Amino acid sequence: MKVLLVDDEQKFATMLAKRLALRGIDIDYVYTGQDAIAKAETQMYDVAILDVKMPGIGGIELERKLKALDPCLKTIFLTGHGSKADFEAGSAGAACYLAKPIQIDELLAILREIIG
Amino acid sequence: MDNTIDFKNNDDLAFFGKVNASISHELKNILAIISEAAGLLQDLTAMARKDGNFELDMIQTCSQDIVEEVQRGFATIKQMNTFSHSVDDPLKRMNLSEVLELMIHLGGFLSFAGKVRFDPPQESAAIVLTCPWRLQNLIYQALIYAFESVGPDGEIQISLHPQKDGGARITFSGLGTKSARTFPVDQTRQIAASINAEIKMAGDSHGLDILVPQYIESMR
Repeated sequence: MKVLLVDDEQKFATMLAKRLALRGIDIDYVYTGQDAIAKAETQMYDVAILDVKMPGIGGIELERKLKALDPCLKTIFLTGHGSKADFEAGSAGAACYLAKPIQIDELLAILREIIG
Repeated sequence: MDNTIDFKNNDDLAFFGKVNASISHELKNILAIISEAAGLLQDLTAMARKDGNFELDMIQTCSQDIVEEVQRGFATIKQMNTFSHSVDDPLKRMNLSEVLELMIHLGGFLSFAGKVRFDPPQESAAIVLTCPWRLQNLIYQALIYAFESVGPDGEIQISLHPQKDGGARITFSGLGTKSARTFPVDQTRQIAASINAEIKMAGDSHGLDILVPQYIESMR
């Protein structure tokens, strides 16, 4: 399973990626939507974990751009904002949603479930 | 003199909600980093127990990150406290440099916030008697417009100029043309009028001034 993590909170992205790597997940991480697109143009990913609120290209817009490159890509959204209902009302159709701070076991279970 | 803030204008409540939402988002980000650092420390401890391999550099980085994020959290809570108490007094003597620094910091939590260069006055402080809440709201609305006008990768400049008559001019410069909104809208003009302040847009749309009087006797 190849995962791309995108979050502008650099410490958060670095540590979450390290924790997932320790659990056997093959993961790349970047801090901006622009860098995520550049990565996705040269690599194949099974899942993208996207922060919703980021400067420049936000998570929801980024999902559209990444899926334009690879329609089979699965996405998980991370957010520090609002309720799940608020989020779903504002998104085009999230594959999955997790509120920060996240539980690593919950994220792992979701990763395994959506990859199957 | 008025001794209450009249919240008849929905903009006042919207301002309160927007700032609080952005602060809560910031606090969640801080807690998320602390949570990941603590989780990674647990992982590294478990690994060390298992194979005796201590990743000391990583342990030190995690510990330092926790210390830094706790400090960031305390600073954010202090700003939240200052902001929350701004409704305590309908009129109060305010140092405009401090007000601008607070609003620039709170505005920085917005996802579309760009960089801000603030040049406080070097020679004399700008002290005014005004409604803290309304003044903050006015500055915040201008800041949002300024951020939108340059985009998240842009930079705006804010400067503060004490005036001979005792008031002050706050200047936003380096504005771009990316904002889809007009500024100021009627509600923002009403907020400005309620504290006898004035908004002046530069002819080329690349700047705006907020003129703040030295004192007001009551809110309109």
